[in-house]
Amino acid sequence: MKYPISNSSLFCSGGGGMLVVEGLTKRFSNGKGIEDVTFTVNKGEVFGFLGPNGAGKSTTIRHIMGFMLPDQGYASIHGLDVWKAQGTVQKHIGYLPGEINFFDGMTGISFLKFMSGMQGMRNTTKRDHLIERLQFDAATPIRKMSKGMKQKVGIVAAFMHNPEVIILDEPTSGLDPLMQKVFIDLVLEEKAAGTTFLMSSHSFQEIERTCDRAAIIKDGRIITVKNIHELQSMQRKLFEVVFANREDAEQFAASGLQVEAHEGNMVRIAVQGNYDRFIQETGKYNIRSMDVFTQNLEDIFMDYYDREGAVQ
Amino acid sequence: MNLPLYKEMMRVNLKGIMNYAFGSAFYILFMIWLYPGIAGSTQAIDDLIKAMPEGVGKAFGLNSGFTSAEAFISGEYYGLILVLILSIVCVQMSTQLMARLVDRGSMAYLLIAPTTRRKVATTQALVLTTALLLIMGVTTLAGLLGKAWFLGSEFEFNSGRFVQLNTVAFLLFFAVGGLTFLISSVCNDEKKALGISGAITFGFFTLDLLGKISDKLEGLRYLTLFSFYQPGKIVQGNVEIVQVSSWLLLIGILAFAIGIELFRRRDLPL
Repeated sequence: MKYPISNSSLFCSGGGGMLVVEGLTKRFSNGKGIEDVTFTVNKGEVFGFLGPNGAGKSTTIRHIMGFMLPDQGYASIHGLDVWKAQGTVQKHIGYLPGEINFFDGMTGISFLKFMSGMQGMRNTTKRDHLIERLQFDAATPIRKMSKGMKQKVGIVAAFMHNPEVIILDEPTSGLDPLMQKVFIDLVLEEKAAGTTFLMSSHSFQEIERTCDRAAIIKDGRIITVKNIHELQSMQRKLFEVVFANREDAEQFAASGLQVEAHEGNMVRIAVQGNYDRFIQETGKYNIRSMDVFTQNLEDIFMDYYDREGAVQ
Repeated sequence: MNLPLYKEMMRVNLKGIMNYAFGSAFYILFMIWLYPGIAGSTQAIDDLIKAMPEGVGKAFGLNSGFTSAEAFISGEYYGLILVLILSIVCVQMSTQLMARLVDRGSMAYLLIAPTTRRKVATTQALVLTTALLLIMGVTTLAGLLGKAWFLGSEFEFNSGRFVQLNTVAFLLFFAVGGLTFLISSVCNDEKKALGISGAITFGFFTLDLLGKISDKLEGLRYLTLFSFYQPGKIVQGNVEIVQVSSWLLLIGILAFAIGIELFRRRDLPL
């Protein structure tokens, strides 16, 4: 399968990136796996890794973390091959697993102290600061913690040793909206300080708010690597507009915008990138109410494939 | 070896280990305390055992006779109870130290710290070895104390042979622990690791028992590590201690080394 390359983004200019994934291939006995996964994340960049469940995000991350040996290709961080440089490369990495499982019989703080010991950390200022910021009682036994609370402990463990690269697997799952915002602020602050991020997600919104660029993976292959603005313009939004009177609705529907549905006073319009035109058209009429539906990632892919199919 | 990990693992497991160690110590003290009472009638007990089918006496090491305290203990305790305790410790702990952490995903946290898989696995192997050492150490100490308290100089108790017995018992379970650790190192599933290493350990035990009970099945004893360990013969002084110990030590080291190496190379579903 040939996949389109957006030349503006896939090849970074300048010397090697902070995180390089090159031709990573792994085939599992069940026929699944990843095929020739290649991307580069530059220093100080937040890189999104988008794809439906089962597309190969976690497998790729397992390779980057050195949990799996690739059949072909390699992943490197800070110029160090993650498999060969085991023991030193981890100093540069912070990691938040997709599913968090701590050890038995620990409290939040005893786990974090244990991890500080494993990291060889002396200074605990950042750890304490993070605990305060995420507002959780670190003395709670882990088995009594809710999913969101465990997620917070995991976030502290990923950030506390000031790593240069932080890899986050579905980071905001389980966090309430307020904490999601705190988390995003945290990522943006670290980014400003030069930290590099790889963040996997199946939610476009999560990626949209933080990332500079994102790779989209499906069936084990990278489909595209685009900057976030390009991705945003790919996303279609559906606007459901209810007009004050029926004639307006009919006139509006005939205005040349892409009409998805038209029922009485209601017109549903698909908008992709051309918001100006949509606003101008709606501005002409008396509107009673308006709703917006964002397309989920799956649908964006489907659109993307459709368009690619049409071009070829 | 990773010191913070070793400390944490010991902290988590120490209570369980000490439960086994003190259980074992009290049992052996109890046996020694009991001995003077039956020492006068050892002849009768020996006769009783001779009246049993020969295989049964052999299987549980009762044929060494009860004429000395260490022979009594070797038959009563080292032949069965201690073997069961240490088998359970080996199977349970090796599964907890490796396969469970992989199965539950918490192994990820050990491997994202700046350490190597080899160090993590070696540390876990050391934790298991420490556990066996502690249990056997406390048991030996209890035996020697029991001699001083309850037996004095009236009754025969060959401390040298008793220590040899404990050394071989430790090395036997070092080797068994090596095998269960190897299995645990390659399993992604906690239950599978527990099942396989349990089947192997208790299979070894059964093969040894069958081999001892029937002369026709003697050949089975070549298939089990437990044939290196014959408590009755050790206390009689009829065993090449150095040779047996070296074999067990070698098998144990080899099994641990293979387990660590396989863990180092394999894909982990974390």
